[in-house]
Amino acid sequence: MAEKVERLVNLTIALLESPGAMSLEELRRRTRYYTEGSAMSSRRMFERDKDELRRLGVPIETVTLPYSDELGYTIRRRSYELPDVELTGEEVAALALAVRLTGAEDTPLALAKLAARAPDPVPIELPGDTRVEVSPEPIDAVADAVVGRTTVTFTYRAADGTVATRTVDPYGVVQRRAAWYLVGRDHTRDALRAFRLDRMTDGPVPVGDPGAFDPPDDLDVAAAVSGPALPGVEVTLAVAPEARWSVEVRGGRDTGRTHGGWPVLTLDELHPVRDRAWVLGLGAAVAVLGPEQLQADVRAGLEAVLAAHRGDTAPQATQPDAGHSEGQP
Amino acid sequence: MSAAGDVARMLTMVPWLLERPGASLAEIAEAFGVSASRVRADLGHLDFCGLPGLGGGDLFEVGIVGDRVLLRMADELKRPLRPTPREALRLVVTVDAVAEALGEELPTLRSAVDRIRAALDIPERSADVLEPDGVRTLPLLRRAVREHRQVALEYQGRADTTPAPRVVDPWALHVLDGTWYLQGHDHGVGDRRVFRLDRVAAARITDTAATVPAPTHLDPPRYVPGPEDVAVVLTLSPRGRWVQDAVVADEVVERPDGGATLCLRTDALGFVAQLVLMAGGEAVVREPSGLRSLVRQRAEQALQRATGTA
Repeated sequence: MAEKVERLVNLTIALLESPGAMSLEELRRRTRYYTEGSAMSSRRMFERDKDELRRLGVPIETVTLPYSDELGYTIRRRSYELPDVELTGEEVAALALAVRLTGAEDTPLALAKLAARAPDPVPIELPGDTRVEVSPEPIDAVADAVVGRTTVTFTYRAADGTVATRTVDPYGVVQRRAAWYLVGRDHTRDALRAFRLDRMTDGPVPVGDPGAFDPPDDLDVAAAVSGPALPGVEVTLAVAPEARWSVEVRGGRDTGRTHGGWPVLTLDELHPVRDRAWVLGLGAAVAVLGPEQLQADVRAGLEAVLAAHRGDTAPQATQPDAGHSEGQP
Repeated sequence: MSAAGDVARMLTMVPWLLERPGASLAEIAEAFGVSASRVRADLGHLDFCGLPGLGGGDLFEVGIVGDRVLLRMADELKRPLRPTPREALRLVVTVDAVAEALGEELPTLRSAVDRIRAALDIPERSADVLEPDGVRTLPLLRRAVREHRQVALEYQGRADTTPAPRVVDPWALHVLDGTWYLQGHDHGVGDRRVFRLDRVAAARITDTAATVPAPTHLDPPRYVPGPEDVAVVLTLSPRGRWVQDAVVADEVVERPDGGATLCLRTDALGFVAQLVLMAGGEAVVREPSGLRSLVRQRAEQALQRATGTA
C-alpha cells in the first residue's frame, strides 16, 4: 500500500509539473514507475492509477501527442487548483461548527480543502444546543450532472403512480422537508419540473456532453418544488377549538365570526391538491365554509373514503376508488 | 482506509502544512479528522513524494521535531485540489441546512455559505435547502434550552386526538431532514421524549429550573418500532402513492395497476387513519379491522359536519 499511495501522489506531481502532455514512455522515465513486468501489464497498472486519481477529482486529460499517434497525459494547473477562498477565521470556525452540529465524525475533505490556505478558526461558541441532520447521500447520484450541466435520463414514478422515462436538464437539487428533489427542464414537456430523488427507480444516466445547457438566471428552485398555489383564493373554515392551533400554524387568521359555536378562520393561498388533503385529514374538526369547489371536493373525498371502508374486511377485488384525488406532489 | 482516501487527504495536507509551518500533530489530526498516528503515516509517505529522477534531490522534506511538523520543498502542491462535484454539493447543502436552522443564532455562517458557494461555483439555484417550516414556538424553546428552564407544552402527539399538557426539561432542538424536534425529559412519563414542534399547540417557559440533565450523548430522534406496535396493511391506488412517502413501510408490493400494497407497524393508529382520510379514497385499510372502523367512523362524522354546512 505504501508504495501505491506514494506512486499516486508522485504521478499527480509529475503530470502537474510537466510543461506539456507526456506519453507513458516519458512518464516512465520521469517517475521510474510502470517499468516492471510486461509493457502490457505496466500499462494496465498506469491505467488503473489514472482512473483512481480521476475518481478523486484529479483532472488528468488525455490528448493525442503531436507528430505521433501516441496518447499523452497532462494535468492543467488551472483545472487542478482551487483558487484561494476569502474566508475569515470566524467563518472557518462557523463552517467547522456547522459540520459538527450535523454529527459528522470526520471533517469533510471539501472543508479541509477550502480552509487549507485560510486563517485558522477562532474559538466561537453557540448558545443553546441544536443539532441538524441533513442526509445528503441521495444527491450524489445527480451531483456530477448538476455541476457539469449534463442532461440525464431516468425512470420515474410520478405522484399519480405512472412510471415513465424522463429526460431532464438538471438545474439543481433542493431539500424540502424530508425529501430531496431534482429541479430541471423536462424535455418531453418542455417545462420546469421537480422530481423526488427517491422516486427515481432507474438511473439517472448522463446523455450527451457536459455543458449542454445553462440554467435560467431567474430560476426559483423553491417555487418549483412547492408547486403552484392559487393566489387570491380564500379558504374559510369553521374550526373546533381543539384543532384551532393546527389551523393557525398553517397561517389561519381569526375572522372574529363564529359558525355553529366554532370560531371561523381564513387562509389566503390555496394549493389545489395539498390543502384539500390537509382539510380532509382534519376530519370532523373543521367545516369548510368556502369556496364551494373545496366544499364539494372534501365531501367527495370523504364519500370515497367511506365507500372503501364499509364492512370490517375489504373485499380483495375492490380497487380503491379513483378519480377524486390528484395525489400529492 | 483506502489508498485513494489517503491520497486525497495527502494532496490537501501538503498545502495546509506549507501554510502552517511548525503545526503540531494534534492540530493536523483535528483539521483532517484523523488520528495523530494516521498523520504520522501520511507524513512518512510524503517524505517519499516529490519528483525523483532528475538528480534525485527533488523530494519533499518532512521534518518532525517533537510534535512539530515542518514541510519544505513541496511547492508543486502548494494549492489544494478542487473538491469534486459530490464533495462540493454535499458540503454546500450540509452547511446551508445548518444556516437555515440556526438563522440569526450564527450570522457568520450566512456569509461563510455565500463565500463557499462562490468558490465552488454552486449558486443557490443549483443546491438549496429550504428553511424548516416556520415554528412559532421556536424562539421560546431556544431560550428555555439555553436557560435550562422547564417548559409547559400543550402537545398533540401522533396518537392523540387533542393537545394535552406536558411538562418537559428541554435538552436540545434538532432539525431532522427539515423538521424541528425538541428532545427532553417528560416529567409526566418520567422518561426521555421527543416532540415535533409542529405538534406543539402552545408553549410556556416556567419559573422552575430544569432538573434532569441531558445525557452526554444525545442521538437525533428516530422512530423505532416497539413491541406494542400494530401491524397495518394498506392498499394504495396509483394516485395514493404519496402515502408511501409519509410512513416507514416494512414492505411495499407493487400492484399491476401501478398502485402498491404497504405493510407497516405503528404505535399511532390515529395518525394512519388521518393519512387515509387525507388520501380521499386513494388509500384503503386492509388490516386491522379496528383501523377500518376508525377510518369509517371519522369519515362519517366529517361527512355529517360537511353536509350540515352545505
